[in-house]
This record gives sequence, C-alpha cells and structure tokens, in this order.
Amino acid sequence: MILDWLLPVLISASLVLALAGAFKRASLWRAGQPESVNLLAGLMAMPRRYLVDLHHVVERDKYMSNTHVATAGGFVLSMLLIILVHLFGLESRWLAWALLASSVLMFTGAVFVFRRRLNPPSRLSKGPWMRLPKSLLMFSASFFILTLPAAGILPEAFGGWVLALILLVGVAWGLSELVFGMTWGGPMKHAFAGALHLAFHRRPERFNGGRSTGLKPVDLQARVLGVEKPTDFKWNQLLGFDACVQCGKCEAVCPAYAAGQPLNPKKLIQDMVIGLAGGTDAKFAGSPYPGIELGHAVGGPSQTITEGLVNSDTLWSCTTCRACVEECPMMIEHVDAIVDMRRFLTMEKGNTPNKGAEVLENLIATDNPNGFDPGGRMNWAADQNLPLMADVKEAEVLFWVSDGAFDMRSQRILRAFVKVLKAAGVDFAVLGDEERDSGDVARRLGDDATFQSLAKRNIAVLNKYRFKRIVTTDPHAFHVLKNEYGDFYPNGKGGDYEVLHHTTFINELVQQGRLQLDAFKGGTVTYHDPCYLGRYNGEYDSPRDLLKALGIELAEMERSGFRSRCCGGGGGAPITDIPGERRIADMRMEDARAVGAELVAVGCQQCTAMLEGVVEPRPVIKDIVELVSEALIERAPAPKAARVAEELMS
Amino acid sequence: MSQYDVLFQPLKINQLTIRNRVVSTAHAEVYATDGGMTTDRYVKYYEEKAKGGCGLCICGGSSVVSIDSPQSWWSSVNLSTDRIIPHFQNLADAVHKHGGKIMIQITHMGRRSRWDGENWVNLMSPSGIREPVHRATCKTIEEEDIWRVIGDFAKAAVRAKEGGLDGVELSAVHQHMIDQFWSPRVNKRTDKWGGTFENRMRFGMEVLKAVREAVGREFAVGMRITGDEFHPDGLNHEDMKQIAAYYDATGLLDFFGVVGSGCDTHNTLANVIPNMSYPPEPFLHLAAGIKEVVKVPVIHAQNIKDPNQAKRILEAGYVDFVGMTRAHIADPHFIAKVKANQVDQIRQCVGANYCIDRQYMGLDVLCIQNAATSREYTGMPHIIEKTTGTKRKVVVVGGGPGGLEAARVAAERGHAVTLIERADELGGQVTIAARAPQRDQMAGITRWLAMEVERLGVEVRLGTTANADMIKDLKADVVILATGGRPFMEQNPHWGAAEGLSVSSWDVINGTVEPGKSVLIYDTICEFTGMSAADYLSSKGSLVELVTDDIKPGVGIGGTTFPTYYRSLYEKEVIMTSDMLLEKVYREGDKLVAVLENEYTGAQEERVVDQVVIENGTRPNEELYYELKDASRNKGQIDNETLFAGQAQPILSEPGEGMILWRLGDCVSQRNIHAAIYDALRLCKDL
Repeated sequence: MILDWLLPVLISASLVLALAGAFKRASLWRAGQPESVNLLAGLMAMPRRYLVDLHHVVERDKYMSNTHVATAGGFVLSMLLIILVHLFGLESRWLAWALLASSVLMFTGAVFVFRRRLNPPSRLSKGPWMRLPKSLLMFSASFFILTLPAAGILPEAFGGWVLALILLVGVAWGLSELVFGMTWGGPMKHAFAGALHLAFHRRPERFNGGRSTGLKPVDLQARVLGVEKPTDFKWNQLLGFDACVQCGKCEAVCPAYAAGQPLNPKKLIQDMVIGLAGGTDAKFAGSPYPGIELGHAVGGPSQTITEGLVNSDTLWSCTTCRACVEECPMMIEHVDAIVDMRRFLTMEKGNTPNKGAEVLENLIATDNPNGFDPGGRMNWAADQNLPLMADVKEAEVLFWVSDGAFDMRSQRILRAFVKVLKAAGVDFAVLGDEERDSGDVARRLGDDATFQSLAKRNIAVLNKYRFKRIVTTDPHAFHVLKNEYGDFYPNGKGGDYEVLHHTTFINELVQQGRLQLDAFKGGTVTYHDPCYLGRYNGEYDSPRDLLKALGIELAEMERSGFRSRCCGGGGGAPITDIPGERRIADMRMEDARAVGAELVAVGCQQCTAMLEGVVEPRPVIKDIVELVSEALIERAPAPKAARVAEELMS
Repeated sequence: MSQYDVLFQPLKINQLTIRNRVVSTAHAEVYATDGGMTTDRYVKYYEEKAKGGCGLCICGGSSVVSIDSPQSWWSSVNLSTDRIIPHFQNLADAVHKHGGKIMIQITHMGRRSRWDGENWVNLMSPSGIREPVHRATCKTIEEEDIWRVIGDFAKAAVRAKEGGLDGVELSAVHQHMIDQFWSPRVNKRTDKWGGTFENRMRFGMEVLKAVREAVGREFAVGMRITGDEFHPDGLNHEDMKQIAAYYDATGLLDFFGVVGSGCDTHNTLANVIPNMSYPPEPFLHLAAGIKEVVKVPVIHAQNIKDPNQAKRILEAGYVDFVGMTRAHIADPHFIAKVKANQVDQIRQCVGANYCIDRQYMGLDVLCIQNAATSREYTGMPHIIEKTTGTKRKVVVVGGGPGGLEAARVAAERGHAVTLIERADELGGQVTIAARAPQRDQMAGITRWLAMEVERLGVEVRLGTTANADMIKDLKADVVILATGGRPFMEQNPHWGAAEGLSVSSWDVINGTVEPGKSVLIYDTICEFTGMSAADYLSSKGSLVELVTDDIKPGVGIGGTTFPTYYRSLYEKEVIMTSDMLLEKVYREGDKLVAVLENEYTGAQEERVVDQVVIENGTRPNEELYYELKDASRNKGQIDNETLFAGQAQPILSEPGEGMILWRLGDCVSQRNIHAAIYDALRLCKDL
C-alpha cells in the first residue's frame, strides 16, 4: 500500500520543512535589536500563557473561544498522535482511538470555523484565511479515515487506491497548511510565532492577570533614536508582529479607524510583517487604512518604514488608547510600535505634524504644552490658600495639579477637588510653580528626550519632600507618575509613595465616612472611562462606586469599562490632528446619547475638553469630583468637645 | 487657557493676593441699617459677588468715620463706633469663604451731605462754601475739628482692620473732605491748611499718616481720587498727577482708585457714573495718566461692562485693575460666567443707572434688570435651580421684560414654557424706549432675556395675538399674562386723540407718525418717555416745546440721567415749560391750537403747532385677563402675603384641575421695568 510508506515520508518531510522554515523565520526576527529575555523561563511559562492568559482574552467571544479550543486543541493532540501512530508506527489501538477522537474534535471545531467564514465580518481578513477552515477539515477528515484501520474499525487497504490517492492529497494539503505552512508564512504562522511571542513577550508582567502599560524608555545615547527601519525594533517585537491572526478585533475597536482616519491597527501590524520579511501589501486581504488604497505599500527589513511602507499620518492618527492592545488575542503591543516609530520621526527627523513641534518647543521652554508663563501655574488657586510643599515640606497627600492649572475649564475640576479635600480635612499640599508638565504628551508624541528631562526634574522636586501619596485629577499624569517615572528614579524602581487617581482617593474618603454627600439630583447619567485610567491602570470600579454613592444608577454605554471608546484626546492626537471623516469625540457622544444620557460623568480633564467640544445640544459633561463637590454637605466644624465625643462613640 | 487670561492674573496689593483683576469698586449701597451696620442684606449682597468670583470688593462708598458726617440719608456704613466691628467680621467671613477680598471706603463727607436730619449737624468744609447738589450750607472747619476728624479716620481704619476687612480706601473723590481741602475751588484758606500745594495737601497727608500709623505697614490702604474735576477753577489732570505722585512718594499708599470728573454740580455728577449715553470707559485716559506717575496698582471704574472691554484695557496696560461695579450689580456671577465660557449668559449692565439714581434719592440700590441683586437675603436667586417637583406647562403672554423674565425663570425651573408675543419681535416697551437717541442700550435688557429664553428652549410664538380660546386650547397649568399697556390718551377727551388731533409719544418714537415741524409735547409723567420723545423729535429737526404740569420736565428721572437729557435737549433748543396743563387741542386751518393753562394762576395760553404729542403713561391691556379670570383656579389672584415674603404661591401645592392665572407688569398697573421683572422672578422662582 502506497500510503504505508508515503505517509511517514510526507509527515517527516513536512516536519523537516517546518523546521527549515522556522529557522528562516527566526532569522528575520533576529535581525531586530537585542533585548534580553529569559528564554528558558519564557518557554516554561508559555503553555500557561497560551492556555490561560491568551484564552482569557479569546474567551470574551465564547463562540470563537470554544471553536479555537476544539480546533487548536484537536490539532495539537492529533499531530502528536499522528507522529506516534503514522510516523513511528506505534501499533496501539488506544492511540489510534485517541487520534480518532482528537481528529473528530478538530473536525468539529473546523466546522465552526467554516461556518464563521461563510459570512465573515469585515474585520476578518479574507485571502488565505478563507482557505484555512477547508484545510482544517481536510486534515482532520483525512487523518480520521486513515486511522480507522489502525483502530481496527476498517480493514487495511479499504477503499482501494482511489481513496488512497484522495487521502494522500488531503494529507499533503493538510500538512502543508498546518505544519510547514506554520513557519513559511501561511495563516497558521500565528500558532508558531504566537507561541514563541508569548514565551518571549516584552511585557511578561501582563501575564497572570498583571498589567504593564508604561512605555519603555529610549536610550538617548543610541545610534538611532526610535524606529526607522523594521530591524530597529527589538527582535521580540518583530516576533510579536508575526503572531497576528488578522482577526481584526483591534480594527473593530480602533477609534481612529472608526473616525475614518488613516489608521487600522491590524493593517499596521501586517505592514510590520511585510517590513520584516520584505514585500508589498498587494495580497493583504483585510480592510485598508481609511482613504489609502492597497497595493502601494512596499517595505523591507532595512528600508525606512515611513518611506513607502506606512504613511506617517497613520502613526499620528493613534490616540494611544490601547483599545487594540486590550482586544488583541495574541497580546501584540501596537501602541509600543507606534510610539517607537513616532520617536524616530520626532527625535531624528523633527517631523511632528501640525501643532506637535510647537507643543514640544513650549514644553522645552516653559514646562507646559501651551507656552504659558510657568510663574502663572498657581494663578487658578490665588484664592484657595493651598499649602505649598516648599513651605510645609511634608504632607499626607501631594496633590499633583497638572497642566489643567492653565485651563479655565479644568480649573473648575481642580477647585472642586480642593473643596472636597478641604471638606474631608485631608492633610495635603501642592508643588506650586515647582511642578512641571508630567511629560505625558511629549512622550506620546515621541519626544522621549523632553519626557525624560521633565520626568527627572519632577522627580528631583518630588525627592525634596515627604508625602505618602500623590493624588491627581489627571489620568495622564497619574499614569506616567505611577508607571513611567520609576525608570528614571536613581534607584531604578520609583519613589516611596503611592499614586492615586482622585476618584480612587475620594472613594476611599467616602468609604471612611469622611465626606457627607447629598443625593445627586438630575437625569440619566453615564460614565465615560478615560483610557489612561481604565485600560492603562485598571481603575474601573472607584469612579462607579463614587457615582453609586451619589445615588446614581449608571446607564452604561455599550463601549464601557475595558471596552470604553476613547474621547480622541490621548496620545497627542488633538495636537497632531490628522483629518478623518468624523471626529472621535462626536462618535463618543453618540454612544452617550444612545443610552439617553443627560450627563456624562468623566474623570479626566482631557476627556472633558474633548467631549465638551462636541456641538450642542448634547449631554452635560462633568468630572466626577464636580458632582461630588456639588453634592457635598459641608458641616461647620463641630466644637472640639463634640468631636471627641463622636470619636468615643464610633 | 482662555482669551480672557489677562483678567485672571492675580496681583498683590500690599500683602493681599487679589485673585483676578476685576474689582467691585466703592459705591453707596444704601443697605447699612441699624445705624449704619453691615447687616444681613449687606453681607449677602457682597457674598454673592465673592461667590461669583469677583476679585476684590471695595464696599461702603462714602462710609463715614465721624458722627458729624451724617450717614442715615444714604444708609451708609458707620465706622464712627466700635459697634461696627462684629458686623464687619460677618462681612469679611462671608467674602473670604469664597476666596474674595473685601475693603471698605472711609471718608468724612464734609460739606457734601445734608444737615437737616439725624444729628442736625453743622456740616464742615475748608472754607464754608455751599455745595449745590445737596443744597448743603456748612461752616468753615476749625483746627480742632480737623485734628478730630484725622483721629476719626485712624480709629475707623482700625475698626475695619479689627473687623477682618482686608483694607481701607480713603475717599478723596466726589468732593469729600480730603479733596475739598485739595481743590482751590473750595479751599480758600490762608492758614497752613490752604493756599500752597503742600498746605492744601496737608489734611489728606495727615489722615494718611494717622491711618497708616494706626493700622501698621501690612494692612492695605488706598486712596480714591479724581483724574480731573472738570471745573475751570478746580483740579485738572496735571494737578491730579502731581497730587497722586506726591502721595505715592510717601510709600504709605498701596493703591489708587481713579475716577474721572468732579461731582459737586448736577452736570459733573452725571459724569461720575456714566450712563448709557456715554462711550465705553470715557475717562480711562485719566486713570492711565495717574498710573504713569505712581508706582502702586491703579484701579479704574467707569463704564467698563463687558469682559472684552476689560481684557482690552488690561492687556493694553492702562490700569492694573478694572472696576466693574455696575456690571456686578447686573450680574454678580460675571466672573464665574467668563470662567465657565458662558460670556453670552452674562446679564450685562446697560447703563440705565436705575441703581445709582435710586441711591441719590436715598433709596436702596436696585438693578433695573436683575431683581435678585441685593435681595439675596430674601432668597431671590441669581442661579435658578431646577424644580424637583411637578413639571408644568406654562404659557406666558407678552414678550416684554416681565413676560420674558417669567418665561426665563419658569424655563430655568425646568417647566415647558410657551411665550406668545403679538409683535414680530420680543422686547415690548423696552423696544420702543431703545429707539430714542442715546437710549439704544436699553434694548440690552430684553436682548439678554430673549437670548436666555432661546437657550432654555422656550417655544416663542411671535406675531401671535393671544385670545381666550387659544389659551384654553394650550391646556396650560399656569398662564402668566404680561400684556403690558397702551398709551393713556383718552383721559382728557379734549386732547382730541380720538379725532386725531393728538398722537402718543409711542407713535412718535416708533415712527408710526411723521415728526411735525413744530411740536408740542405734553408730558404728565416726567420720566424717560417724554424726554425721549422730545429728544427724538428735535433730533429729526422738529421745533419742540416740552410742556408739563409738573414742576419741571424730567423731574421723575434720577440725578445721573436727567443731565444727559438736558445736555441734548438744550443743545437742540427744546423749550421746556413747567406748571402748564394741556386743556384742549383744536384744529385751525392746517394748524393745531393747544390751549395751556397755568396750574397756579389759571391763566390760559395758546400754542399754534403742527403736532401735539401726549405722554400720559399707560393703561393696562387687561382684556384677556378678564376673559380668562373666571375660568382660572385662582380667579387671577396672587397671594400677596407669600409673594412679598418671597415664598411659593400656595395654590401651587393645592390639588386642583385647570389653569392658574397670574398677571404682572403694566397690564396690572403702570410701574416700571424693575417692578415687572421683580414680580416675574418672585412669582416664578418657586414655580
């Protein structure tokens, strides 16, 4: 029987080819920049990352998660058993039966993949991906039939040579797609690259329920600042790009894409794949960047990315909202890549578009993005009698005011927060004119030099004083202080303090009974999660708890929590201002209108500014602390004797 | 940051950080009751400004330091007694609570007062020269009095300091005692208190030294001066620069306030608080001139009303602080609205000077358009809160100031409001008033209301004459009639209005009748309309005689407004005739003959003219009211007890079917804009 000898040959040939492909692919990744990764530990941790962490993400879509478990699990099991049964010829009915079962499992999964592909949503790539379900069916069916004799269900040589030939074709097809296709660039590449990507991930902290969202610092002494060519990425970033399954979940959540700006995160990752391997986007089978035709992008490992492969407008359209990263089942880091490429454009080329250059110059000259007199930072609080750290040296809480100090609208938020702090009797102080811009905008615009300079100077000021916590109303400052300043502390870890968003802090005050709140009077309220509070820092509960404490029952938007849609204000996007067909803030307001909101509660002055920029009539926008301060029942301080009595009672 | 950034640069006065560059400057409020104490109404009035964001309030215009400077005429603050200190503490706490600062103006009025009341004092002045505006005769001040008053200034300043106020402003403006000594027009002395520059300066200098010594170096002490008295024999701008520099050089002063014009005549008085006939900031150049020669901050107020104007003045660096006093009377939340990017929602002062004209009559200062001002203590709100009770359907008939205010307040409360107006535009009688020369800014009152009504989503039906059926069909819960009035021409049939022998002042100002060549205006009311008709007709080239049976034309108009009418009418050779009744009008050929009769002698005179115009006030448009009255739940009645107490009308909480009917403004009886707006506010704030 021809199959008896050909089958092992085919299997071993495909395995050899796969191995060769793997080496070839690995060499492409290795062209990237070095980054030290604990390879062994990574590999050891990989199965758990695949089966638990990744599954967690995939599981948000039950249909796909079950399908994937059946198909991928069935395949991995089948492949192992195929090697034992059909390559090594182990004659064991148990093994054969197991193989039958696993191929049935895989086949079942493949049927669902097939059904999904009958009318696929636009976010899914077509092209070779349309072939995949057939390959899966073919593979599992062929090996099922081939294994029937080994299981003793059918006689050897049943069906004659015609069937043998058909099965041979099926096996060859299946093996080429699923085995060496894996390393030679077919759809199944995701399994191979994905597994290694998970093993050698740049942010291992993300696994086991952790979070790692701070950008990595640039070595300002490096030959090239930022990423010019694909090979300027770290090797494991390149590997990460290869893990993409083109599911388009990122595309579906990207606010810039929805607004018709020339960004599609999926396409961007695929362009990075083109870059690392060389070629064009002519065969890309997904949605293009809005407004940019397919087929014109050309790139290679050593070619400047923004000269032919990716238009720089694509990179500047990103709001760094991390919706794509949050959705990506392969845990690819889109935002890192975008900022890396921006760093080159800004720091090497000086090509930050629109107001970008002006903002960066302002930051350099005045420590604030709009070029205001740095001596006017405390003008907003001229009537607030705020204790200055320079005077008191020590306080329980350092109130990080942020650049909202210069903005009339944000000042209302700041004043509301001061009122709350005072009402709760919090021992706090501010830095006053010693505070500088946190550096968030500079960093997202790719100017890590300015960011680092601001960070180091802020750290030097922070180091002068003693305090237990920093509290800020600005999620962007919150994020950099909490997650990005540590790299620049002399100890390399960070300061000995906790950083909190004001909603977290106020919620704590409410829980401790230090604030007395009246019930909110007003209509329907929804809550907009700021990206830098939610996705970046996982704080979804405190704002909601606070609103609940005000007696508000939220009308949640469909896109809320970790799926909140960006207001359009992050990542310097309003500064670079890349045109689209719609404004992101308008779309976000539509989300709010859809749930009948009369008031949108927010926790970020940037979100406030963006959403208030939507033309009226529209819901009212208020920071949560404004709602709290309006509901505050201010008590005249009780006589000392009464306070002592109260303490004794409690 | 905003385009108004310059307003929000804090600036220090001595040790005080003033949070922004906007000041409510000293003005007489006429609220200090109980012998000149800053009682509840006074405190709440200033607290509202501080709450609204005003940087610095200088309260108590002409607050007296001595018992021989009478305070009761204008209920001014009395710093001649320690009794004031706890009252000041209340005032200071209320303002400081909101981050504001508060100082007080202190003065001895000298001859600028009245002696015929209170303690029946002998008024005092450097040379005993009579002051015409108050018809005030006075004695020549003696050396002993001088030193006593200097001591009183120091004691008063200490009381301000002990009361927690942030500073004092010495008044050397408006012809008070200090500038009475300064001005050679009034100071004819030959002793060490008069004559040479140093001698004339001596009294003020001794006051300043005594005050500074009493309060210490760190307490803010400023001085308000004129930039030019505008009298040939008085102090001119160069004199004032010399004076300012002289006092500044002592280093004892922390700021200057500068006002253009003296004010010891009716005509100069009108300059001090420029009404709507003046251009914006007419005397800024005088303040800027003073700023050139002094080192400390300069404050200037006079017709600065909108944030753009304030910004322009500050950005150009003419002065350091802008006084926006009437602007804050019209809207104490001025600053808050600028900050909230709600500049369009600022109720802007139009310069009608209802406030100051009441003050000069010894009446409490009220705003023509904002009835909540100074009534904060009674619960009249500047910010109207949404109701938490029943949402009602409210129909308002009449788009004049009363109807508009009713619609605005009801809409702010969250009710569904429909406003029906017969004319094609909103404004009512204000629209007519604004057509007269120099009175165009009156329209600002109703323009703001119309903008608010639009912003609040009131359904406005223009060109619609409401009738009983229409109102009933609307099935409103509350119907408010503010249908105004119409010229009262039929009072004397011999005026011949029915025969077309005479026309109304409205016909003339509205342009519905052509101006005649020679016109007799008969004005029984003696307020704005008659004067405006005369001004209007004379500006169109008519030869006008303005006749009244009252004691003088325009006698009902206050002290800062009749002079600007007079300037215009005299210039256009309008003849003003008093004490004559119009008995009859008849036609003779193509002319009209007006028969006038002297009130006191009965002697008759005749005038042959082309046109006779009658200004006899209005009669209410009350037909609709009487058609609806019986069908209403409350028979159209308003409960006065709760209305006057500023409380909700009881009917609102009583169960019942059908409409509640109220009427307000001139459709009840002829009063004024403030009366209509006040009724609308107090009726609707609890709706």
